[in-house]
Amino acid sequence: MDFLKSIAIAASGLRAQSGRMRIISENIANADSTAQTAGGEPYRRKMATFTSEMDRALDAQVVGLGRVKTDPSEFRVKHEPGHPSADANGNVKYPNVNSLVEMTDLREAQRSYEANINVIGASRRMIQRTIEILKS
Amino acid sequence: MSITDLPLFSMLRTRMQWHQERQRVLAQNVANSDTRDFKPRDLAPLQFEPAGSGTAAMTLRRPEGIRTAYAAGSMSGLQPGQSRSFETRPSGVAVNLEDEMLKVAANQMDYQAASSLYTKSLGLIKIAIGKR
Repeated sequence: MDFLKSIAIAASGLRAQSGRMRIISENIANADSTAQTAGGEPYRRKMATFTSEMDRALDAQVVGLGRVKTDPSEFRVKHEPGHPSADANGNVKYPNVNSLVEMTDLREAQRSYEANINVIGASRRMIQRTIEILKS
Repeated sequence: MSITDLPLFSMLRTRMQWHQERQRVLAQNVANSDTRDFKPRDLAPLQFEPAGSGTAAMTLRRPEGIRTAYAAGSMSGLQPGQSRSFETRPSGVAVNLEDEMLKVAANQMDYQAASSLYTKSLGLIKIAIGKR
């Protein structure tokens, strides 16, 4: 049944988008995680990448979560001499997470997730119509 | 010759298979909407050979006409269970989610139209048989 293939492809999209959401929530949760040691590096922002891979059984390009990359941009530096993670000059490195960017990303992931759900819904209704031919 | 081999039915069946295949291609586009370097694809529009549908319908009274129509028309030569392959072609440089959703909705409606027609045609045959 080919419609079930469509649903399986959309499900791969759902999986990939929820994996992306997991990484975004990780970033938001760790937005203020400083280093364990004095002068060390704090949490580095992670980024999800997608790869499309050929699924032989489905004969289609399904999407998967690729390698999770780290954002190489600069850390935020604050001068807090009393902080346990402060270096010799009293500066503390904070993660390079911008919560505004993360929220935007989260919304985008949500929209893509909804789009995949809509495809599943449409395929399901088409299957239903096929079954209705039998009922007539 | 079975009822489902009638030109009308086999055309509708090809049409429904086309929509099924298109749904798969569109699902692929939507799933890969955030993949880098992914080119969206779409199926080429379905076209029936004009000789196949028209003459087959007109020559219903002549058995030899039907036979030749079946042999000649690739459209009606479709075997049950054997899916016809449709041409896939690129449809843009990047996935536009709104466009894809519109296509999915249109595909679903057209499929429903085709399946309704199929149901009605079956009803027509049933009336002819006298069992309704």
